Amino acid sequence: MTKHNDKSADTSAAESSPGAAEPSVFTQTQTSQVDESGVTAVYIHVPFCLHRCGYCDFTLVANQDDLIPDYLAALKNELESTAADHAFHGPQSMDTIFIGGGTPTHLSPSHLTELFSLLQRYFHLTDGGEFSVEANPDGLDDDRIRVLKDFGVNRLSLGVQSFDDDCLRLLERRHSAAEAIETIQRCSDEFDNLSADLIYAVPGQSLRSWTTTLKSAISLPLSHISTYGLTYEQGTPFYRRANSGELRRQTDETERQQYLTGIGLLKGAGFEHYEVSNFAKNGFRCRHNQTYWQGRSYFAAGPGAARYLNGRRSTNCRSVARWIRSWSDNSPCIQESEDLNAEEKAREFMMLALRMIDGLNIEAFERRFGVSVRTLAGEAIQRHIAGGLLEYHGKNLRLTAEGLLLADSVVVDFL
Amino acid sequence: MDSKFIRNFSIIAHIDHGKSTLADQLLLKSGTITEREFREQILDDLDIERSRGITVKARSVTINYKLNGQNYELNLIDTPGHVDFHYEVNRSLAACEGALLVVDAFQGVQAQTVANAYAAINVNLEIIPVVNKIDLPVIRVDEVLEEVENVLGLDASDALRVSAKTGMNIETVFEAIIKRIPPPAGNPNAPLKALVFDSKYDNYRGVVTYIRIVDGSVKPGDKIKFMRAGISSDVLEVGQFRPEMRACGGLGTGQVGYLLTGIKDLSLVTVGDTVTMAVGGTDQPLPGYLKPKQMVFCGMYPIDATGFETLREELQKLSMNDSSFSFVPETSDALGFGFRCGFLGLLHMEIVQQRLEGEQDMDLIQTAPNVTYEILTRDGQVRTIDNPQDVPDAGVIEEFREPIAHVSFIVPSENVGTIMQLCQDRRGIFKNTEFLGPQRAQIHYELPLSEIVYDMYDKLKSVTRGYGTMDYEVIGFLAADLVKMDILVKGVRVDALSTIVHRSTAERRGRSLVKRLKNEISKHQFEIAIQAAIGSRVIARETISALRKNVTSKCYGGDITRKRKLLQKQKEGKKRMKQFGEVEIPQKAFLTVLESNREDG
Repeated sequence: MTKHNDKSADTSAAESSPGAAEPSVFTQTQTSQVDESGVTAVYIHVPFCLHRCGYCDFTLVANQDDLIPDYLAALKNELESTAADHAFHGPQSMDTIFIGGGTPTHLSPSHLTELFSLLQRYFHLTDGGEFSVEANPDGLDDDRIRVLKDFGVNRLSLGVQSFDDDCLRLLERRHSAAEAIETIQRCSDEFDNLSADLIYAVPGQSLRSWTTTLKSAISLPLSHISTYGLTYEQGTPFYRRANSGELRRQTDETERQQYLTGIGLLKGAGFEHYEVSNFAKNGFRCRHNQTYWQGRSYFAAGPGAARYLNGRRSTNCRSVARWIRSWSDNSPCIQESEDLNAEEKAREFMMLALRMIDGLNIEAFERRFGVSVRTLAGEAIQRHIAGGLLEYHGKNLRLTAEGLLLADSVVVDFL
Repeated sequence: MDSKFIRNFSIIAHIDHGKSTLADQLLLKSGTITEREFREQILDDLDIERSRGITVKARSVTINYKLNGQNYELNLIDTPGHVDFHYEVNRSLAACEGALLVVDAFQGVQAQTVANAYAAINVNLEIIPVVNKIDLPVIRVDEVLEEVENVLGLDASDALRVSAKTGMNIETVFEAIIKRIPPPAGNPNAPLKALVFDSKYDNYRGVVTYIRIVDGSVKPGDKIKFMRAGISSDVLEVGQFRPEMRACGGLGTGQVGYLLTGIKDLSLVTVGDTVTMAVGGTDQPLPGYLKPKQMVFCGMYPIDATGFETLREELQKLSMNDSSFSFVPETSDALGFGFRCGFLGLLHMEIVQQRLEGEQDMDLIQTAPNVTYEILTRDGQVRTIDNPQDVPDAGVIEEFREPIAHVSFIVPSENVGTIMQLCQDRRGIFKNTEFLGPQRAQIHYELPLSEIVYDMYDKLKSVTRGYGTMDYEVIGFLAADLVKMDILVKGVRVDALSTIVHRSTAERRGRSLVKRLKNEISKHQFEIAIQAAIGSRVIARETISALRKNVTSKCYGGDITRKRKLLQKQKEGKKRMKQFGEVEIPQKAFLTVLESNREDG
């Protein structure tokens, strides 16, 4: 019961790091100004769930709640080490804090309190900052909501996935549509920044069912919605079942129709489509996630969490047990780490920027990277403009409506 | 050594009947090699053959053996076992007076047993039947001997019964070699006359010429002449294989060994040539051999275009030691610069390819194999076609001819019907069937070589669950209703996928080919038609629908690296694709088409 398919549920976290802080190149930035001298985003991964859904390949454990105290102890060590490495003097000011999972709210109120208390020793949310927590509709009781509120959480991202009980069952979620609606309504009393994840292209899901789900979401007090096409990740039960023919994948034509339907309905209901999978009411774009997409730095802690600091992307090991064991001994547990050179940074930046609806601001890009977009990808740009997948819009290069549907085919040529 | 104490012999057998093991056992028992060396099949000094249990290059080894107080010199001249290497078998046999015919005590006479035995009979060798593997729990020696008599017409009453693996009864083999195989007959006082039965290139010593002295003798310092090649040279070294090259003072009549002459160009030393003295030599050369004919061709291309020169060097090196393999540069729109290579047969092709990829570590694309065709044009010329791209317009062709092979199968009796059906489907002409006993039959067919190359081996093996064997020999060219089938991808012809097929099978093969291609070419932004066509007539079609959605939903903090790497990998893959019109075809598509040739059809 995690909110898989949820943004950043895997890892990540943010902040413009010292040294890595570069000016935003996006025309429309809803984030606050980046502190050039410091990282302003952090991601914390909480790898616990009540159960693992069949399509989920995230870093988490189910039915191992006995590990939670060890996890909290290990997290303390990792954060302490981060603080030492980056010379924290007291809690660092963060523009955005994102607690993802797993299901962070699977933790008991007392464990949650312990987690937040720990974080407070290292991070401090700036005025007007964004503090997100991922949660599932089931089990999000008033006690937990109370803890979240007390510690300043101001944005909830709910793993709703569907308002169709058949889909929810197939996805092995543990809540019903009615419960999801009830939870959203209850949360909306406390949070005005409320997001829901929805999944389409579920086997057997009709366009009508998807439309109903979208309309339900629109009718609820949500300020942000993410829509994800179901994927079959290697190693998951869904992957095996799809390959054995037990689950029937939707055709890409159906997936396309459902995706387009989502875009149409959500835009019609006043949501801005601002990234491939993300829609927000005015002023409610997820600032934390934009840290990722703008190529800025961020801290991260927890198993499987990924950070970007001083031009280095590194990911913690994905085994929860190994991460705990390692940090219990105060030794780092890195799965992979990569230093990006200037060109890789620039190309990665283009990849991320093009996935945003506003696209890539040419002038800002060239100011930041000192190289022209044309030099890096002139041929690809021409070809995709000719093919109707890219277009110029003012100073920006962006995907066309068709290009958005084939974004991977376009972006690949920028790498 | 007096030639009456010399015996020259070969071992011939069907694959896996124990030829190499018997050879090794003879070397071991005679003290030519040690127990440790015995563990390796030392006669097969090429990895590929060893791993396949097949000897490809003929080699020889000299064995000393003492019988009843007399020393004998036994020269074992190894032969390749596979059908592709008939001509190497023949040239080895020509250097011998006798042969051990090894037959598996359970499997009995198989197709290559027959082919090899006949080759030996044809050159009047004394043949000693040897039933091998008598240590196995299940054997049928009496039936096997009956097969030897019935099928081969040999007297099996004094056949030997041995186990090459355990060494059981090996001394009877020595005794039979000495008592039953006649000594060489040549005249020691006549001028030198020696048969070149093999040659190889050694990086340090130049060309090593394998000879069998027929008349006279040779020693270092002699000035000799290769009669056919018309070149003379000084003999720098003479020696024997024991089994490593060991120099000696000279070779006399009947002996087998090698010559080093300082010749550096392998092509000058032709197998089958006669060596004599430059001055005062014989003027009557030995009959020699027919040059092997290449019957199977394919294109070989480096996957990376920069590998062209390397490939050329490697092919050159290989051809230095394998005169039956040829290559010429060719160009394909699809695959760029590469080579058209000619082989004796399919196994030969596979061995060359594996040697390039395995030993030289090269990535190759190989086009589907084809045979040599002949075209009689309207203006009366006969053209040889070994590349489908060279087929002229249909209007120019008076007659399209293909090579026909005589094929003999030995199969379990219950499979006779299925094999006949297979041959019938492949345009075979039935000749006759003989029952070798209650359980096995020999079937003779005339089949187009192209059909054999296409999938006959694999079909035979699968139909008979591995028990069937076959052997073939090309007997000539016959006119047939042949056509060139082209493959068009979104209207663009892909030359490397063109094949020559019989009109009656064109549709079936075309359908299967376009279906396989469909699975190899990824979706594009537009619909792609894949068509098989004869001339302008389309005979099969598949459609790859347009790509409708290709966008990763999630790209958050933890996804960025993975996503970037995934896309970079795709980009690398795209670099390796070939652009045909607007369509990118992965090079793997060319391989898949080739590989699955053998799965259906």
